[in-house]
Amino acid sequence: MDSIIEVSGITKVYQKRKTKEKIQAVDNISFQVKRGEIIGLLGPNGAGKTTTIKMICGLLKPDSGQILINGVDNEKHRLRALTHISAVLEGSRNLYWRLTVRENLEYFAGNRGVSRKNVASRVEDLLQKFRLKDKETELVNRLSRGMQQKLAIAVAMLADTEVILLDEPTLGLDIETGYEVREILKAIAKEENRTVIISSHDMDVIQDICERTIIINQGKVVTDDRIEDLLKLFEVRSYTITLGEHLNEKQEHLIKERFLDYQYESNRIQPKLSVELLKTEDIYQLFDILKLNETPVEAIDREIIQFEQVFMKIVKGETTNGVDQVKSQSV
Amino acid sequence: MEWIKSNLNLFKANFRKETIELRRYLPNTIAMLLTVYIIFMAMFAGIHSVGAPGTVDATIQNTIVNYIFWYLTITIVNGQGYEILTEATRGTFEQLGMSPSGIWRILSARLLAQGILTAAMMIVLLYLSMLTTGQSLNVDFVTIIPIFLLTCISMFGLSFIIAGLTVIVKQIQAFLQIFQFVLAALTFVSLSRAPFLVFFPITKGVDMIRAVMVEGLTLNELGFSNFLVLTTNALVYFIIGLATYLYCERYAMKKGLLAHY
Repeated sequence: MDSIIEVSGITKVYQKRKTKEKIQAVDNISFQVKRGEIIGLLGPNGAGKTTTIKMICGLLKPDSGQILINGVDNEKHRLRALTHISAVLEGSRNLYWRLTVRENLEYFAGNRGVSRKNVASRVEDLLQKFRLKDKETELVNRLSRGMQQKLAIAVAMLADTEVILLDEPTLGLDIETGYEVREILKAIAKEENRTVIISSHDMDVIQDICERTIIINQGKVVTDDRIEDLLKLFEVRSYTITLGEHLNEKQEHLIKERFLDYQYESNRIQPKLSVELLKTEDIYQLFDILKLNETPVEAIDREIIQFEQVFMKIVKGETTNGVDQVKSQSV
Repeated sequence: MEWIKSNLNLFKANFRKETIELRRYLPNTIAMLLTVYIIFMAMFAGIHSVGAPGTVDATIQNTIVNYIFWYLTITIVNGQGYEILTEATRGTFEQLGMSPSGIWRILSARLLAQGILTAAMMIVLLYLSMLTTGQSLNVDFVTIIPIFLLTCISMFGLSFIIAGLTVIVKQIQAFLQIFQFVLAALTFVSLSRAPFLVFFPITKGVDMIRAVMVEGLTLNELGFSNFLVLTTNALVYFIIGLATYLYCERYAMKKGLLAHY
């Protein structure tokens, strides 16, 4: 798979109008996106996600660095680069509210120089796929937020570009519509074989749909890895052991000495001991300590890490077990 | 060929959008035309009551032409500014920026569409005004159309300047309101009174149309030199306008102001 998007060392500094204070929105970001990949762009508010997306879209010029879209420099040949990209940047706000669902689709196609005739079958297909057929003559301002969001995505799909950028596609949607949009995005990812970049706060969306995630914090890429690998990397070798008896002083002392991260809840009928292991084999050391006093073990539970926890750990700059620094790799 | 097709589709899409909106909000369109007509009738009544009896007819005829052109100019020039403001506020302007056609081409297609639709409405208004006032103007389309088209080109240029400023500044409403009076000066003042206005956009064209409609001059009588001046003026303003817009667009993209309101 060759790269369709190549971002090399882009930076962007904004200056506040009144105070002239400079804000580094994006700081030397580099990454590549392969054809057909589905990437999640994550980061806390103000991390630089939207700025990065807008620079990829050619709506914002980087102060330095280069963005190649299918080999085309999007600063030097902006319009040519845009033939490969479509985006939903502000969801429902990206639509003409005085036009109907169908008219919006046809108008945006026209703005790309495509006739209504040439786009007719594609419009029909999208209306069906996005379950908007029965609303095709409805004015956009009369649609629900979820439907508007679906239409905005349909408009982006209509362009038939290799790359689709979606900025917060599920933001502000109720659970049901959010789920529906997620299903649609999954279908796009599976069936349409397009390169999709999703920026979202919704971890479920990212975990569900994306193969790889790029986490941006304070304008920098802090992680660029496959979600699967990140989960493995951050996989907590954390165990909660329910004990039949309390630990004695010696045992507590030994645990404190050998395990850096542990928690002992003794104020329970069945005390609980939580430990984080550097290596899975370290559990035997723990058993040895428990054996010293023949402490009965009632249950052993292994904690399963959620992607949201991984994200929080990365953003907070926490290290992984046995890994000194947050993994950052360029693919 | 592909380029022509693509531009034609772009124009068709924008013409359709403008038509749909005019039709869908018909009461609004009618109210707008009625307002223009009522203001004109008030002006007509004013001229009738205070104008010198010997020149009243010529004054009314000039007023009809000036007023109609003023309205057309406001719609095209200021309309572009308001349009960008609305799009930036609603969030659709970024989508225009995402089109491989380029914002300026989409705006041009819209200008052309709006120009045609407004011109059609102005023709109706022109005949309505003539009918009401009992004045007869020389509506020689063969002579008027080339002058009108060239005048529109300079209007488009001016409109691109306004569009460029709007892309950067956004809160430009107050300026646009004042600018209406600048446009009034460009359409109402005759070149014989202010010859320097020949270097400004629109004025030369409106002056020539007045000569055709009020004084009854023909294409031949207007002469080559007048058309040369008009063509040069139109092209210069269109190029300046487009260059200004493209510069402003680049500046806005650099500063992150494109869709910022």
